[in-house]
Amino acid sequence: MKKGLFRKISKKVSAVILAGAMAVSIVGCGGGNASNGSSNPADSGTASNNAADTGSAPAVEGKKCTIGVAFYTDTGFAVDSTKAYLESLSDTLNVKFTYTVLTQTDEAANLTKIQELISSNVDGIICTMDLGMPSIIQECEAAGVYLGGYLCDYDTSYNTAYDQVFKSEYFVGTATDGQNPDDVTIGNTMLDSLVEYNERNADAPITHVSMAIFPVWAFPAQSTGAEQFVAAVGVYNKTAETQITVDPLDEESDVLAFAPIDTTYFAKHADSQAIISFAAGSAFVYPTMVQAGVDSSMKLFTTGFDGGEDANFGTTGKGTYQQTMVTAPESITYPLVLLLNKINGVSFPDQPAEAERVSSAQYVINSDEDMTKFQNSCFFTKDASKAMYTPQDVLNMTAYGNPDATYADLKAILSTMTIDSIK
Amino acid sequence: MSEKEKITPGEFLSQHIYDIAAYAGLIVTFILFLIFSGSRLSYNMATVLQAASAYSIIALGAVFVYSMGYMDVSVGQQVGVYAILMIMITNAIGGTALGVIVGFVVILALALLCGAFNGAVAVWLKLPSIVTSLFLMFFFTGAQLLLMESTGTNSISIQATIKPADRNLYNVMLIAAVIIVAVSVTYFFKFTKLGKYTRGIGANEMTTAQCGVNTTKWKVIAYMAFGVCVAIGSFIMLTRTGSAGKGTGSGYAMDIMICLILGGMPLSGGMKSKVSSALVGTFTYVLLTNDLTTMGVDLNMINFVKAVIFIAIIMVTCRKKDAVLPR
Repeated sequence: MKKGLFRKISKKVSAVILAGAMAVSIVGCGGGNASNGSSNPADSGTASNNAADTGSAPAVEGKKCTIGVAFYTDTGFAVDSTKAYLESLSDTLNVKFTYTVLTQTDEAANLTKIQELISSNVDGIICTMDLGMPSIIQECEAAGVYLGGYLCDYDTSYNTAYDQVFKSEYFVGTATDGQNPDDVTIGNTMLDSLVEYNERNADAPITHVSMAIFPVWAFPAQSTGAEQFVAAVGVYNKTAETQITVDPLDEESDVLAFAPIDTTYFAKHADSQAIISFAAGSAFVYPTMVQAGVDSSMKLFTTGFDGGEDANFGTTGKGTYQQTMVTAPESITYPLVLLLNKINGVSFPDQPAEAERVSSAQYVINSDEDMTKFQNSCFFTKDASKAMYTPQDVLNMTAYGNPDATYADLKAILSTMTIDSIK
Repeated sequence: MSEKEKITPGEFLSQHIYDIAAYAGLIVTFILFLIFSGSRLSYNMATVLQAASAYSIIALGAVFVYSMGYMDVSVGQQVGVYAILMIMITNAIGGTALGVIVGFVVILALALLCGAFNGAVAVWLKLPSIVTSLFLMFFFTGAQLLLMESTGTNSISIQATIKPADRNLYNVMLIAAVIIVAVSVTYFFKFTKLGKYTRGIGANEMTTAQCGVNTTKWKVIAYMAFGVCVAIGSFIMLTRTGSAGKGTGSGYAMDIMICLILGGMPLSGGMKSKVSSALVGTFTYVLLTNDLTTMGVDLNMINFVKAVIFIAIIMVTCRKKDAVLPR
């Protein structure tokens, strides 16, 4: 009896030890990942080698701190390049970065994710989603942790919880992925790209286009952009030799409920030669174009880059893509610098009283030449050495790293991140 | 000397190994919590309480269902729909306290109805209860999407104040809610026919029925009791964010199951089912997540680590001879 019990218990203890060993090994892997990319002068509290590489030491060394970055997805060019860029800044800025992934539909889950970041002793958080933000800001206030936005216009909070979010001293502002809903230029940009294409292809210009957008409740700027595009085409047609026809938005087929465009789209827009997709065309439009066999006959002007678009861009491959646009990962410097200022207890002399949302310039890729430039960017290569701003540049943007730095300069930097700025 | 006094330490260990393992898990996670929270101890305590309160209330209700050897996989979707409905009703009545009360009464009625449906239909159609809860899961998934589509937004917020502005007061409110539900469930589970019969159904339904117990009736009552806790848990969850969306409540069903198993609840139900499993398991689960976070485990690796620990517990508690969990 006793022998049997001993055997039973020893088996269970062995099971626990084995599982524990597995858990510890995974913990070890996790720890390794967390410190990946940081070769550790930060730990000893010294300035970085990167600063020395640039030939100038920082004016003031920032506090050693940890910043959590909450992404909307766990992978992809935008996420990977942003992580690579942040890790390159780690030593010079004396910052350790830690990452998590939010959900796109569950506020409570997002709150828990933010609470987990706070529990892991972060000093600041960069959040790429606006879901459950009032309660998230309350958590930040309770824990004394600052929060900034990136790749998100925080439109829900801006319109429904402005006082709670934008007036909170713990919210530093957000760098929007492209234009804010009240600062839209994407419609004009799309027309510019279309006209540029027609000038390059004067013998076979595009004269009839249709559009695609995400629902207005999710991306109001896209709906505004579509209206702007139609209006801009109207103005253009008054003087242009080559007239352009735009099919009006069809609620059923042209508004994508975060699902691929339906093949009926092509029947409804039978005369369309190109799709102007304000929605992410690589993921939601192009696959259906291939499926419907129109990827050779129709062109696609769209936002976003998921990888592989370059194989059919411009004069390459089937030439389906004729324009795409993305936001530079370096635009994360806006919330990062503001967070670092807060953590270091300094602010710009012209720092606004309330947090702002600032539109980021975008890489607008219109031609083969633009694509070649883009392929050398930090976004495409995920190589931080290709970034527009070095770690020392970013340190010089902070109020503690450069006494002459201003908020106006920081905002202006967001407007410089265009295709022509790529090294 | 009575029989009890003759029990040797080895026999005691053999009889209570699962309880000892569950409480040991809670103690270990709590010690790690104290060690690794550092300067954020008070903040982390509030975080754990907030995260655990809704789980523990729903898990307490689930004790009635799990003690019969049944489960309900529609909990998450029910929580999502109840939260959205509560917001819509409250806002429609002007965001007043009356709106909150009416909203809660409506979701409570719905939860009772779903409980009755789950219990009764499974018996009448002679289906495993998980099948009817699967039906409810799909129904509520559709309802949640339709409700959110009707709002034209990704997320809706309640216009009434349902959470005290004072964080400490809110925490006291949560503790009070958990204690009240725990005491109520303990009373019904240990001192009334409800608990006795549900455990009996879990242990051996045929025998229980042959003892003159109307098992159909008590199954329905058990599911309705669970429904009450789901409604309360939904409200508690809503107080955390004051908003809800298409994904609210997702993953709750699995989390509740994990909490109960971590707390020593036998999946096959029966006489060894305990109310304490819900509280011990929930707090172990939430503390474990917090510990892994404060210990510096990559946040994206936490689920893997939790899975390994969960497998370890299954390996320990699994009864080889019967090929089922202990009962």
